[in-house]
Amino acid sequence: MDRDVAPRPYNLIAELTYRCPLRCPYCSNPLSHADTRDALDAGAWGEVMRQASALGVLHVGLTGGEPSARADLEAIVAAAAGVGLFTHLVTAGVPLDADRLADLQRAGLRSVQLSIQDADPAESDRIAGTAAFQRKLEIARATRALGLPLVLNVVLHRHNLGRVREIVGLARELDAERLELANTQYHGWALANRAALLPTREQLDEAARVVAEERGRPGPEILYVLPDYFSDRPKPCMGGWGRKNVVVAPDGRVLPCQAAADLPGLEFWRVPERDLAACWNDSPGMNAFRGEAWMPEPCRSCDRRGEDFGGCRCQAFALTGDAARTDPACALAPDHHRIEAARGAGVEPLRQRGAMRN
Amino acid sequence: MKDFEAALRRIGEERYHDRHPFNVRMHEGGLGRRAIQCWVANRYYYQTRIPIKDGLILTKSPEVSFRREWVQRIHDHDGERPGEGGLELWLRLAEAVGLERDRVERLEDVLPGVRRACDAYVEFVNGHDLLESVAASLTELFAGSIMQTRIAAFEKHYAWVKPGGLDYFRSRTLQAPRDSDYGLAFVLEHAASDADRERCLAALRRKCEILWSLLDAVERATARPRLAEHALLRDEPDGSRMVVLPERAVRVAGSGVEILALCDGRRTGVDVAAAMVERHPGRAGVADDVHDFLEEMDAAGALRFEPDQD
Repeated sequence: MDRDVAPRPYNLIAELTYRCPLRCPYCSNPLSHADTRDALDAGAWGEVMRQASALGVLHVGLTGGEPSARADLEAIVAAAAGVGLFTHLVTAGVPLDADRLADLQRAGLRSVQLSIQDADPAESDRIAGTAAFQRKLEIARATRALGLPLVLNVVLHRHNLGRVREIVGLARELDAERLELANTQYHGWALANRAALLPTREQLDEAARVVAEERGRPGPEILYVLPDYFSDRPKPCMGGWGRKNVVVAPDGRVLPCQAAADLPGLEFWRVPERDLAACWNDSPGMNAFRGEAWMPEPCRSCDRRGEDFGGCRCQAFALTGDAARTDPACALAPDHHRIEAARGAGVEPLRQRGAMRN
Repeated sequence: MKDFEAALRRIGEERYHDRHPFNVRMHEGGLGRRAIQCWVANRYYYQTRIPIKDGLILTKSPEVSFRREWVQRIHDHDGERPGEGGLELWLRLAEAVGLERDRVERLEDVLPGVRRACDAYVEFVNGHDLLESVAASLTELFAGSIMQTRIAAFEKHYAWVKPGGLDYFRSRTLQAPRDSDYGLAFVLEHAASDADRERCLAALRRKCEILWSLLDAVERATARPRLAEHALLRDEPDGSRMVVLPERAVRVAGSGVEILALCDGRRTGVDVAAAMVERHPGRAGVADDVHDFLEEMDAAGALRFEPDQD
């Protein structure tokens, strides 16, 4: 290690459950943990919040799975708000309703991120694998009616990139403060469905053109980032491994990102068996890719190593079998040909989450 | 060429400061006396920079006919003798809105953001060629109509302004069209290539930005700041404070903590600065620090500014 003290985490990603009524084909839930039960009760989560605040965390994203699938979400929100964390609900909108959202606000909820799958109702429901679009609109309106800031999140792929303008229009109509147009990251289910989801360069260019136009008009702040499969430079995944974001998974494991649960050979520790601070500071898995000592060439001598931290460890593992290699998304990576091959591969049909077992 | 002129005019339609919320409120009668006074005192600094800017432009032209025409602007502004000219008329406006003439002339209440905006204009002209400098002056194309609007608005909404105060605006309704006609003809004639025309458009856009940011500074100082809704305050172990907002956080340290506490939604930016000056007698630059801090917090979305009605 080239550092002794772990950096301060600013953001806690609290994955309250893997349960979710939606079956999106790019779900970030790990493939291997579909049956993981919620190991932490509201009291245990409250303790996580207290320890996170003491570690210096400012924001908590309450996510999943679908966090509103938990009946004790109010108590968890109240615990987080009670220790001074900025509480942010990351929801698919089901099984939520306006009354429960008001209860959550009373408990201390400060902002809401709502996912929709498309601006087209039928397409949104098709991708979600369930009829949820109308409910999502109700939740968006209820959020604004309560005076809570709304972030709309839409995962982009081959099947909805052509409707970016309609998506921006919907975000404007719903009075979203911010629209995250998140090109699919190919992990977990998204990687299994890559050939069905990967867009064409032309689709991406057109979407970028539309976004540039829409940014000039009044409306939400628009976040749009070119996917790493097409940008030739890796993403600074999670702002660096174990650097700013701490994830607590439904089974209590403390991780640097949601997808790291699938990396073999790394030992992550769990709450409440150990303190959050110990899990963050000292677990072997958390320290495996901190700093720069682990870096191979070309990262080790690269000018950008302090900006992108060698890219995504999970993507390196998924595409090369070795989490310590340079992210193949980087044009300088020895494995970059794997990204190029995926870009040139044929298109396959979409499979919903959960459908692969059948 | 028609397209070029249309493109210049479109910049005005989209970016000229008549669309700035502060000007919109001024023209709708929504400003209080203190906001009007703040604007007059600050805009005076802009007026003082104009003859300097025009002097720089004069040095860029080898043409007698251009200089003979352009030097008229300096005479208009500075007058032929004491007690005449646009600057004098502006000082009379200052008196008419209840300001002390000397204080305005000493530039005592000029906000740092206004100073930066006006200095940026002089600096722009200093660092660019004649064509771009003249193009930047073409905001005058849009000034004639704003003066008419302003005269009507002052007569209707701000009857407390003493008679004679509006003479500056009246004088500009005649001068601005004459000046802009000349400037426009010059730019249309001398912008020979696409690259030239693009440089002219960029210069005019830059000038619009400068005028806009001047009003941003006045608006911030005259509005009443308070913590943004949804913001959460967190004390840090080192004595600094975090303003935690959706998706981000802003660290406030040192005197910023004290300034932030004064942003209670009742004081205006000017009041906050005055309160800090009172608390720290003898410390230099306190008021400017406050205004700079408010600007930073505004950019970070940490404060919300409510227009002041008094």
